[in-house]
Amino acid sequence: MLKLILPVLFPSWRFFSSIGPSPRIHIAFLKNENDEAGDWQEFRPKPFKISFAKGLLRLFHNPQWNEMLYINTCAERLFEGYSEMREQEIMHRIQSAIKAGEISTNTGARYVTYRISALMREGQVVSQPVTFIANPVLLKDAV
Amino acid sequence: MELETAVRFSEIALAFALILQGLEYCRGLQSEKVLGFIFLFLSVLLLVGFQPVFVEAGLLVVSIISLRRFQGPYNGGSDCMSALVLLCLLLSHIVPTKFWQEIALGYLAFQLCFSYFQSGYIKIINADWRSGQALHDVFAITAYPISENIRRLAHSSRLMLIMTWLVILFELAFPLSLLNQTTLIIALIVAACFHLANACLFGLNRFFWIWLSAYPILLWFQARLLAN
Repeated sequence: MLKLILPVLFPSWRFFSSIGPSPRIHIAFLKNENDEAGDWQEFRPKPFKISFAKGLLRLFHNPQWNEMLYINTCAERLFEGYSEMREQEIMHRIQSAIKAGEISTNTGARYVTYRISALMREGQVVSQPVTFIANPVLLKDAV
Repeated sequence: MELETAVRFSEIALAFALILQGLEYCRGLQSEKVLGFIFLFLSVLLLVGFQPVFVEAGLLVVSIISLRRFQGPYNGGSDCMSALVLLCLLLSHIVPTKFWQEIALGYLAFQLCFSYFQSGYIKIINADWRSGQALHDVFAITAYPISENIRRLAHSSRLMLIMTWLVILFELAFPLSLLNQTTLIIALIVAACFHLANACLFGLNRFFWIWLSAYPILLWFQARLLAN
């Protein structure tokens, strides 16, 4: 508990101290739990353009993008080491997006999984290796 | 600005920021909806000035529960600042003397100034920031929910360099604005515009509202310093 409260009492404001690997999340649907995923699709791809009105609205109400910031935090923690809680946090949000109809499922798909890749720059070379693949979960278990 | 006035202005701004956060939680998973409704209820009470001590204590407890729920902040530094503003305002109500009241609020003013200075300092000691490369990476690589057409700004290395140095110099110079009331007001307007730009470009809307909520305390602090 103290570990959680101390950063509030003595915060660190080291915003962007370094630009580390940046997570990208893709999801895939599977017919069987042990199938190999082939058709990965980006989870919540970025819009090409945001209108002024939408930008203004986002200043007051921006739940989905703030949730994405949290998902990215979970993904960054998974870069550092495995955490069941972080894996499930991301999965629950993907399941919730499926349940809400935000993502359409493939016909016959019974399972969903996701992978995290790390977009990074080393010198002038930008690479994006896959760092984590989540255990598939049944679609009917969607939260 | 009088201390009591600054505290009340800060509470109103904080309540507004927390209402917005509560509404966002209400759109999340089930457990977050509960958190959101409690935030909303208590924040409305804070907005109207009902029993601020109990309401701020309640909000602080909910903030700590939220830290536990998410195993850390949900929204990075904005959650830390929310809890810090809440804590310092609460302390200003419950400490026995004016001296300790000023210490509690002075600490908040210090952290607000330091948030800008430290951000600038960690950038200026980093070669990637000094060259503009880091800001390029922020636009081009980071997972911030930036629209694709905004990401294109990363292609202009001169723009990145100019923006980087404007931000670094402003952040480092921020504490100097305390020397004069006019310079502080100008600095706070510029800082608010900076947070607004971050909200529009990177979707960091919570930072905008919560940093704004601490500004009245800094205005009081500066008046208090000059009075000495």
